[in-house]
Amino acid sequence: MTITKKKDGAALTISLEGRLDTLTSPQLDAVLKAELPGVTDLTIDLASLEYVSSAGLRVLLSAQKVMNAQGKMTVLNPNETISEIFEVTGFSEIFTVG
Amino acid sequence: MKNEKTEKKLSIWGRLRERLTPDEMFVETEAQANKLAALILFCSGLIIALILVLTAFGLFLLPMESVFSPLIQAFAEVVILIIICRVVKYRAWWLKHLLMLAIIFVYARLDCVVTHKAAILMVLPVILSSRYFSRRVTIFTSLVSTVAFAVSAVYGATHGMININIVTMDPGITMITTGGFLGDTVKNAGVSDAMLIKNTMLFDYLPKWLMFSIATIVSCNIARRGREMVMTQHEKDVETARISTELNLATRIQADMVPNIYPAFPDRREFDVYATMDPAKEVGGDFYDFFLVDDDHLCLVMADVSGKGVPAALFMMASKIILANNAMIGKSPAQILTDTNAAICSHTREEMFVTVWLGILEISTGKRVAANAGHEYPVIKHGDGSFELLRDKHGFVIGGMAGMKYKEYELTLEPGSKLFLYTDGVPEATDAENNMFGADRMLEALNEEKEGTTVDILKHVRASVDGFVNGAEQFDDLTMLCMEYRGPEKA
Repeated sequence: MTITKKKDGAALTISLEGRLDTLTSPQLDAVLKAELPGVTDLTIDLASLEYVSSAGLRVLLSAQKVMNAQGKMTVLNPNETISEIFEVTGFSEIFTVG
Repeated sequence: MKNEKTEKKLSIWGRLRERLTPDEMFVETEAQANKLAALILFCSGLIIALILVLTAFGLFLLPMESVFSPLIQAFAEVVILIIICRVVKYRAWWLKHLLMLAIIFVYARLDCVVTHKAAILMVLPVILSSRYFSRRVTIFTSLVSTVAFAVSAVYGATHGMININIVTMDPGITMITTGGFLGDTVKNAGVSDAMLIKNTMLFDYLPKWLMFSIATIVSCNIARRGREMVMTQHEKDVETARISTELNLATRIQADMVPNIYPAFPDRREFDVYATMDPAKEVGGDFYDFFLVDDDHLCLVMADVSGKGVPAALFMMASKIILANNAMIGKSPAQILTDTNAAICSHTREEMFVTVWLGILEISTGKRVAANAGHEYPVIKHGDGSFELLRDKHGFVIGGMAGMKYKEYELTLEPGSKLFLYTDGVPEATDAENNMFGADRMLEALNEEKEGTTVDILKHVRASVDGFVNGAEQFDDLTMLCMEYRGPEKA
């Protein structure tokens, strides 16, 4: 999985490409832990992400919790499969999806 | 000071003991090394036979008389050793010493014949000895080689291939040969044996021995490292076996946690329940549960913890117990999920969550109240109809966020209805090309067997999944539950 970061002051955009599953979520977790301090506006772009597993949902959930405390988080462009996964697991109620 | 001395004495005894009764794992290493040494001997025997044949045809550098005796002895040694090896099947604590001695003496014989042409012969036994991963064997081989090749150097100086380079003559001498071997001519010119021997030891044996000692040092190092690797591997194997035993036990504990006695409710004819749970690893994060809250209420649960393996299994056990406890008190599904979520959120820091579908059926009326916390859509077959996905309203997963409130919905089952619950392992089962089984195939499989018993239905779905994945490795836990509602008992 490829992670691209774009920082603009206190706003951070992270783009994901590939699959966010048990093997690749630690990668995203590490990036978020390093980059989130001080960020007030987090955007996660899933346009190139094919699939997210429960391990991936866990990482996104902890990011959401962190941003609930220090700002806001938006999830952009989930594809059909991922949108369905958000629906079924109820994450669509928790995430701000754009 | 005294302790050091006694410790040294004890360790020497320990090492002697070790040499007499080798460790089991090194017995295997030794057997393999013995086979290698025997193979080398065998190949050497072939080379010796070849030299004899070439000499017989006059194609080799030396006359048969010089060559015959040492080579025949060497050949005999090869044959005897290989027979011994076969008899003891390469396993005897003394075999490695015997093999090293044999190889050294065979090569020493060859050295007598080909002398300076084969410097490498001296080094071969000590390099081969490193395969035993024992510095003692290497040192032993090295010492014997030093002596044996010194002896063969002396013998070879006078009886073997002559090394013109070490023959010193008085200045001014002219030699004319009229045929025959140059060596014979040189000898007939009155070169002394003593001079030949002395020069051979100084200018031929000594340089070879210096290179040989480097090979000994390298061999010792290989032996030591090899031994360390074998020991480390052994420790790892022991640890792996221990963990494997513990995991097998954990699998059984987990399997016993979920109801698995069938028929589940033999004295209730109004309904039947059957469920299976198949973890991808030894332990998994899926679970199901079913129990009678009271005489008229049946509770069904299907759940999936995020993740697999031991962490998911631990979380699974905790979730299952909390859910069952809340349900047994008689709370409604929405309340059960809300309270379970509160309990789990206060206990977990690891961001693990569990998706849950929970339903309580009023047996006398067929009315079911259910709540879904982020779990897959249940599948319902009404009366005479077919299995269809029921797209119920989804709350958030349990354990995801504190303070969530869950909602429930009502559904009435007619007699003859069937309910199928599952975790995502079923629709997401993948074949070798990463294609997913999918909800459509699952519905197809269900409807192929829709008139069957709960057991038949689950068996058929499982067979379909197995047929689809066709031997690919099971990626996720496979858990399914089927309930059949036959209707209230006629009074």
